[in-house]
Amino acid sequence: MKTLDELILPHDLRYTRDHEWARVEGDLVRVGITDYAQDQLGDVVYVELPEPGQTFARGEAFGTVESVKAVSELYLPVGGEIVEVNAGLSEAPQLVNESPYDRGWMVVVRPSDPAEIKGLLDVEAYREHLKGIE
Amino acid sequence: MARHTVLGQWHRRHGANPAEFAGYEMPLWYPAGARAEHLAVLTAVGVFDTSHMAVLTVSGPGAFGLLQRCHTRDLGALLPPADPPRCTYGVFLDARGHVVDDAVVYGLSPDRFLVVVNAGMGPRVAAHLAAHAPGPGAGIADLTDRLGKIDVQGPGAARVLEPLLADPDRAFQDLGYFRFRGHFDPKAPEAGQVRWHDGTPVLLSRTGYTGEFGFELYVEARRAPTIWADLVEAGEGRGLLPCGLAARDSLRTGAVLPLAHQDLGDWPFVRNPWTRVLPLGPGGTGYTKEFLGRAAIEAAVDAAWTLPFAGFDPRKVPSGASVRSGSGRELGTVLTCATDMGIDRVEGRIVSVASPNRPAGFTPRGLCCGFVRVGEPLPPGTRVELRHGRRSIPVEIVSDIRPDRTARVPIGAMRTRRSASSQEEPR
Repeated sequence: MKTLDELILPHDLRYTRDHEWARVEGDLVRVGITDYAQDQLGDVVYVELPEPGQTFARGEAFGTVESVKAVSELYLPVGGEIVEVNAGLSEAPQLVNESPYDRGWMVVVRPSDPAEIKGLLDVEAYREHLKGIE
Repeated sequence: MARHTVLGQWHRRHGANPAEFAGYEMPLWYPAGARAEHLAVLTAVGVFDTSHMAVLTVSGPGAFGLLQRCHTRDLGALLPPADPPRCTYGVFLDARGHVVDDAVVYGLSPDRFLVVVNAGMGPRVAAHLAAHAPGPGAGIADLTDRLGKIDVQGPGAARVLEPLLADPDRAFQDLGYFRFRGHFDPKAPEAGQVRWHDGTPVLLSRTGYTGEFGFELYVEARRAPTIWADLVEAGEGRGLLPCGLAARDSLRTGAVLPLAHQDLGDWPFVRNPWTRVLPLGPGGTGYTKEFLGRAAIEAAVDAAWTLPFAGFDPRKVPSGASVRSGSGRELGTVLTCATDMGIDRVEGRIVSVASPNRPAGFTPRGLCCGFVRVGEPLPPGTRVELRHGRRSIPVEIVSDIRPDRTARVPIGAMRTRRSASSQEEPR
């Protein structure tokens, strides 16, 4: 497993305690799982995502990510409507391992309450959270 | 605090992701990842550190009688030792017919046997044997801490081993499936039959828990790091990867091999796909010998059925998830659910990355597979649903899972077979 120093944790993202990341892009929010999460899961073999147009509350499970080791729920960092999903993950789920913050993104959300983003962890708080797990 | 095998330092230095298993810290996977490791065993070679497995010796004039009474297989097939001698896979049952552990028994001579059981199970199996000894005359010793054990598995296994053995032609001669040769103890009379290139005596057996062609090597613990390093070096350019527990689990599931205490456990050992480990007579009916637990499994009337299944994509559920019929009726629970990353369905048929008739460019996504324990017989082809939380995964009861396994292919053919993932020329 990667050590805390080896993890890639971009400063421009917000994080959840469940290891999702959220990137604000105008009035939309792009969501994926962190480098820590993909490292813990190991090889991702399947990603189950919702259909565009579905709505979820903050913290609600919107899909699953499946590795050789485990099946893990994906929780939405901010509530809202799914406006786009990463269709490429159905053919290449390994992108979650290879590029968790870029090509391995999962969904784009139109937040129902943009203020929810402020309730997420910044990079320093997420790093502290990971220290508590180790 | 978890124990480490004699190869623990190597694992840490080479980036193994650790997991605790039966009191040992073992590699779950190495930096290549479990998927690559699984595929290496199907197409090239994988090496596994299985030094955590427990090894007992049972010796003396009462040894055969004791093992013959306790092990499900008819060990008469191990006597007298042939060249090369035989080993056999079966289970130790208690008087209720429940599994104490599964075990490979090696017949060295009419009064010397090796018994290989699961990690952490040495003391329990030794106590079980001692408690059921029909009389004195059998000494039981636990050699686990004295031994290193390395599995070399995959179609390229013989070709990687060849240059590392002092006399590979002698070592491999007539080495059929579940045959072995040599001994790890330099004082044993068989020790000279298989030697590493540096003279280290090796017990080399044509066995393994992946379903693929390969070997298990038993050596004195202090020799294991050198032998492991030699294998890794010899496998460079031949697609060899060190493999962890994750690949071992997915490989064995696809090969319809059970995990003791999960797929066979605290329930009567009947109505499962492993009846071949019972001493069945011609036509698969009637037992050819007495064994502890026989009366209980013959009398079992309400036992469940343990059946293999394969899914339609890689999705899986945790062990313990429920099994339902298409109409939602509760049928039982999931014992094991893993993803065999080397297989996929092509027009409904399961194809392996190693199948000779696979379509050009075949790249499997993997299929979930494993074992369910249900309260009624379900014939192959029956569709059931595995349910856990929001998940409901359709799977099919099957009689086999990963096709075109190589475990039983004659060794002569494997010594000349070109590895699917390497450019090396046949010997």
